[in-house]
Amino acid sequence: MKFKKLFSIRVWILIFLLILAIIAIAPKFNTEGVEIKFVDRNSKASENGLQVGEIIKEINNQQVNSVKVETTKGTYVYDVLDTIGFALNNLTLINTNNITKAQGKIISINEKNITNDNFNNMLFEFLPSNTIKIRTNRNSYAFLINKELEISVDKVEKTNLRKGLDLKGGIRVLLKPVTDEEVTNLQIRDLIKVLNNRLNIFGLSDVRIRQADVGNDKLVVIELARTDIEGVRELIEEQGKFEAKIKNDTVFIGGERDITFVCRDDGTCSGIRNCAQSNGAHFCSFEFLITLSSNAAKKHAEATKDLDVNLSGGGRDGYLTETLDFYVDDELVDSLNIGASLKGQEATQILISGSGSGNTRDEAYEAGLEEMDKLQTILITGGLPFDIEILKLDVISPVLGDDFVKTSIYAGLLAILSVGIVIFIRYRMLKIAIPMIFIMLSELLLILGIASIIKWNLDLAAIAGIIASIGTGVDDQIIITDETLKGDEAAYNWKEKIKRAFFIIMVAYATTFAAMIPLYYSGAGLLRGFAVVTIIGISIGVFITRPVFGKIIETLLKKE
Amino acid sequence: MGVKDFYQKHYKKLFWIPILLIVLSLLFLGVKYASTGEIIKRDVSLKGGISANLITKEKINADELKIFLSSRLKTDVEVRTLVDFATREQSGLIIETSSLDSDGLKEALKEKINYSDEDFSIEEVGPSLGEAFFKQMITAMFIAFLLMIIVVFITFRTFAPSLAIVLAAFGDIVITLAILSMFGFELSITSIAGFLLVVGYSIDTDVLLTTRVLKRKGEGSVMDRVFGSFKTGITMVSTTLIALLVAYFVSTSIVLKSIFLIIIVALIVDLFTTWFMNTAILIRYCNKKGII
Repeated sequence: MKFKKLFSIRVWILIFLLILAIIAIAPKFNTEGVEIKFVDRNSKASENGLQVGEIIKEINNQQVNSVKVETTKGTYVYDVLDTIGFALNNLTLINTNNITKAQGKIISINEKNITNDNFNNMLFEFLPSNTIKIRTNRNSYAFLINKELEISVDKVEKTNLRKGLDLKGGIRVLLKPVTDEEVTNLQIRDLIKVLNNRLNIFGLSDVRIRQADVGNDKLVVIELARTDIEGVRELIEEQGKFEAKIKNDTVFIGGERDITFVCRDDGTCSGIRNCAQSNGAHFCSFEFLITLSSNAAKKHAEATKDLDVNLSGGGRDGYLTETLDFYVDDELVDSLNIGASLKGQEATQILISGSGSGNTRDEAYEAGLEEMDKLQTILITGGLPFDIEILKLDVISPVLGDDFVKTSIYAGLLAILSVGIVIFIRYRMLKIAIPMIFIMLSELLLILGIASIIKWNLDLAAIAGIIASIGTGVDDQIIITDETLKGDEAAYNWKEKIKRAFFIIMVAYATTFAAMIPLYYSGAGLLRGFAVVTIIGISIGVFITRPVFGKIIETLLKKE
Repeated sequence: MGVKDFYQKHYKKLFWIPILLIVLSLLFLGVKYASTGEIIKRDVSLKGGISANLITKEKINADELKIFLSSRLKTDVEVRTLVDFATREQSGLIIETSSLDSDGLKEALKEKINYSDEDFSIEEVGPSLGEAFFKQMITAMFIAFLLMIIVVFITFRTFAPSLAIVLAAFGDIVITLAILSMFGFELSITSIAGFLLVVGYSIDTDVLLTTRVLKRKGEGSVMDRVFGSFKTGITMVSTTLIALLVAYFVSTSIVLKSIFLIIIVALIVDLFTTWFMNTAILIRYCNKKGII
């Protein structure tokens, strides 16, 4: 019976590959919950083993504790989550933020008397350190936290297919080093490293940075799954060259060579210390501690040893005549008096300071925090090896992307169906139309399967590539069918006919393949998706599905 | 057999139709270049500037917005409305300008329209990069064409038939460019994908025709073989055309739409270059060489 013959070895291979493709794409039918996209490396969540890719099914937690703070100026009751809202200086409240209105000299918190010594230790008792319980698809976790979870999450992907930027939304930045000298690949690698650190420290998840060359220019492409450009642009564009100078001698610069530790997210050694008002504007100053490498400390000793002490300047022992000046991108941001006791000393611990300003106290407080965060970041990561210029900036709306995916699926299926109809009208045979539709769907599945395996990002250009290669596939199948149908009048045997069809197909294949090669290298890689997917598509066609189609058609049309 | 007889009688005259089209297209593109400095309009991705896409159902007067934005950004701004294919209702706006002040544009828009950042897409390209992309695009096209010529000549190893295929592909590109240029189509960086596919699709039918006519000497006369190929070729073009037309109308992405449009126009052009020009050259070649 013909039906049995249909399942030749080639067909079985195709079926096997199709199953593999489906496994690779791995459609998930249960997409409840949210998927973890990013876990801060220093967070409790990371310590307790939460990993990127886990799907959170359930969380329970989140209570807010209320505290009662008694001071010389009155009693204040308010809710706290991750901070008590003030710091102490000799039991006087300083540095209060906007969750509390408390002021004065502290007496007690929650009826417990506060002294200078016990405040820091008891702080944790007042803050809600609740057990958080998280159930994910892999595990259950329970641990204590007293601040935010420090992870970011997103919808669960329904498959292993990766969507490119123009389908899921985000920011793409193409930038170029601005320098008169020739830029080496090594320098570009350094630039990418600094940018990566910078973006990671800011908690931007899902960051992809790569080198891309346009002509002789070496460029860098950054892709982020975020859509708020304002902050990102500043973060990327700023060169962030930090220098600390005494007179004109550089003592240390930003980056791990000179600075071994930067205190952040720890109220005991970093934070807003003081807010003041002058001429209608508010200022909040911040301080944080850094640790210098021994080399940088030696330089400090060197630079201070010959300075004079100015006794009238204030302080217990007076200050040195020169200040320690902080420059960011050659602009003076702050100057510190150097205590006389530090003269000629190899100081390893240095307090960095600065300030933020605003029209209201809250604004100034926020600005101060922001400035501090920025300064901490450039001290940790160091500056970019050179100034950079943004050449291209794309922000793609995630809403638009969803729509593109949906309509592309409709378009693809409708196109396949209408091709089937045209084929049926032309040949009037279901046994030609049905195998053709089957082959088209197989090609679609195989392309998506390979894209999943090689973790290729599918973008709009890639979709065009899929449609193009399936289109070429149909053309080839028509050639095979016609060569086969012509059969009777000619004396060739079946093998010969299929071979002839394949000659034509291979020439077209070679041409399209060749046309895609220059595309791979041009346009800063923006069209690489199209080139790669088209090459995958037409190769699958020529080496896998076309031979199967030939066999099926041969079996179905051969007169017994 | 009306078509076959007609063709057999007139193929020498029909040959001049695509030739005329190519000449006219070259003339048109030349005049266009002389008067505007470019053969076809380029969008921001190839010349620099901003292109923004805003999803909004709010009824907007495009002309008023254009004047407002132009005065705010102090440069020419183009505003077009997008219409949903199914509901025929406005679904969004496209704003294009040569300015590079995307923050300024966003601020100005916020004054007129209430929207969330989620619904806003923007593409900002520096002019030097756009120019570099354009050069690369031309280079890529040139290399692809060259590689195609090599493949064709290696395959057939005869001068005139190979040249006929190359000429047809050249004609497809030139005529398509002229038609698109005439209707104000804006070339973008993704258009290159479309044109490269045109090369591929174009030579599909030419190779089919040439192989059947030159290498199947046992299967009827030259004319029979031409018509056999014609039947296959038309089926191929009609399936591709129908698929692309469906995709063109259903898809909402401007990027995809413009790629599809390029191929649709080129496929129709290819009918003329393949079946009037390439075929005529091939028949003459066969007559001369005594191939029957």
